[in-house]
Amino acid sequence: MNVLTLQLRVKNEEGALLRVLSMARRRRFDLINLTADSSADGSFFDVRMTVQAERSAPAFVRQIEKLVDVAHVEVIKSGEAENGARAAASLT
Amino acid sequence: MKGSQFLVKALEREGVEFIFGYPGGAIMPVYDALLDSHIRHILVRHEQAAALAADGYARATGKVGVCMATSGPGATNLVTGIANAYMDSIPMVAITGQVATPLMGTDAFQEVDIFGITLPVVKHSFLVDRAADLPRAVHEAFCIAKSGRPGPVLIDLPKDVANSEADFEFYGSEADSSAAEPDREAIARAAQLIENAHRPVIYAGGGIGMAGAIREFNAFVDATRIPVISTLKGIGAIPTQHPLFLGMMGMHGTKASNHAVQACDLLICIGARFDDRATGKLAGFATGARVIHMDADASEVGKLRHADAPLIGDLKKTLRALTTVAVDGDAWRRQCLSWKQSHAWNYDAPAPGIYAPWFLKRLAQRAPENVIVACDVGQHQMWVAQHFDFARPEQHLSSGGLGTMGFGLPAAIGAQLAYPNATVINVSGDGSMMMNLQELATLRRYDLPVKIVLFDNRALGMVRQWQELFHAERYSEVDLSDNPDFSRVAESMGIPAFRVESKEHIEDAIDNLLATSGPVMAHVVIDQMANVWPIVGPGKTNSEMMDEVRQ
Repeated sequence: MNVLTLQLRVKNEEGALLRVLSMARRRRFDLINLTADSSADGSFFDVRMTVQAERSAPAFVRQIEKLVDVAHVEVIKSGEAENGARAAASLT
Repeated sequence: MKGSQFLVKALEREGVEFIFGYPGGAIMPVYDALLDSHIRHILVRHEQAAALAADGYARATGKVGVCMATSGPGATNLVTGIANAYMDSIPMVAITGQVATPLMGTDAFQEVDIFGITLPVVKHSFLVDRAADLPRAVHEAFCIAKSGRPGPVLIDLPKDVANSEADFEFYGSEADSSAAEPDREAIARAAQLIENAHRPVIYAGGGIGMAGAIREFNAFVDATRIPVISTLKGIGAIPTQHPLFLGMMGMHGTKASNHAVQACDLLICIGARFDDRATGKLAGFATGARVIHMDADASEVGKLRHADAPLIGDLKKTLRALTTVAVDGDAWRRQCLSWKQSHAWNYDAPAPGIYAPWFLKRLAQRAPENVIVACDVGQHQMWVAQHFDFARPEQHLSSGGLGTMGFGLPAAIGAQLAYPNATVINVSGDGSMMMNLQELATLRRYDLPVKIVLFDNRALGMVRQWQELFHAERYSEVDLSDNPDFSRVAESMGIPAFRVESKEHIEDAIDNLLATSGPVMAHVVIDQMANVWPIVGPGKTNSEMMDEVRQ
């Protein structure tokens, strides 16, 4: 199981967070953890998300990078975890 | 100026020639503004056809196709066409009316969250709930639709925003949409892989045509003389008559192309995405090959198959950089060409009925150079891919990714409007034709000279074929023997039609089709049990092609 923690800066545009979450669901990456804080001026969200999947993590990163409203993507942690969600929690 | 008037002016500024649409309550302000515009609105008879016609226009021209519908059911009817454009990376802007902002979220009449509904099938979308945002949304929609890997963009426009008065200013200049430069190190690695390869194959996809890289691609093939196989959408990237073209690969690919890809030691994938219909069982696909993958979209490279040399960016530049590479492949080329020769199509059909592949072959041989074929989905679509000849990819309009039955007729309408002098042929089946049959009225309304070849096997042929081959001949809901009389249906909608039933009449039918100046339908009756051969069964590798056993 591949576990991936990403730090994203997402423009506060209509549906932007939905697009990020929808991409994870559509590409079969399970969400384990998510926090999102809006910036002081409300123009963007800082999002930290941890997902897990059998599929390759870099492929998911490239799908997220492609979203028009995603301004910045940083991979915080990426690795394999035997126990899936529980192990992922230790990665975050 | 009202928002609706600005929208129409902005569309003119983006170079829009046609809008395919259907009016309704929430979009009425835009229809009012259209009366004062030179943009030609094409009134279809169902919104799905508006999206598919915009798609056909975009495929044939490379320009952004525009469709429009009202809120609620008008918008939801567009969804299949938007998804079709998304799956095949077609540049499209879809404009939907929305209920006024004070009513949004109240379950108002004809309110639907089309922004939410389409999220997974758009490249991007805008809900313009403030007039001030309209200029940027329209301009960005067009930039996004056509840049990089193209795709559909939705603009949802509430009625009060369309009606609001404001001082609008056109937004920005043309954004720089040029694709990234390919990485030099990756180019060098790719060049080395090509130099060292003994059995290279080029796997050509639809991205070549969309990148405008046809000339560069042909130069690359002619310089390296590497055999070429293609995806459904890659057909025409080099002329299908080119000596090095082995045919379409995959589920209904040629034996030569599938043998070549399975035996190759280097797979040069250009603007393709390792789709399951092309690769067969992925784990058994080209197992001995290293991979060079060129694409405009980084997320496709390495998605399904590791790339030894990932070349992300402008295909034209990448191909130019690799055109000088020396290739050692004489023996391999001879092997590929020998497969091509020994597995050439056999058109001998003993039955007295019409053999659809032969009909298409003759039509291809006799059609003028400016022919464009818009297919529907099913057996006839695969026969077109196998047996028609194309010199350019934009001559072959086929719903590849989504596989949308009902695509062909609206797509033909879009292509014919773009090229009034082209010979546009819609090849359809009796199942597909019934999905957007109402658009015969659009053909008549605009007097578009589309030629329809309707292969009628009185069945959902491709599903019937699968039930025969993979479900022990347990036929479930595939019988269409109660079809209407298509000739009379067409004639009642003002389209001349004729029926063809025996192979002696094929040449007369083609004469009639090509000689008719306006729209016409040839209702071609074929054997219900005809199958598409060869076929790679579900879960099988491309090495395991099943072929017809002739009695």
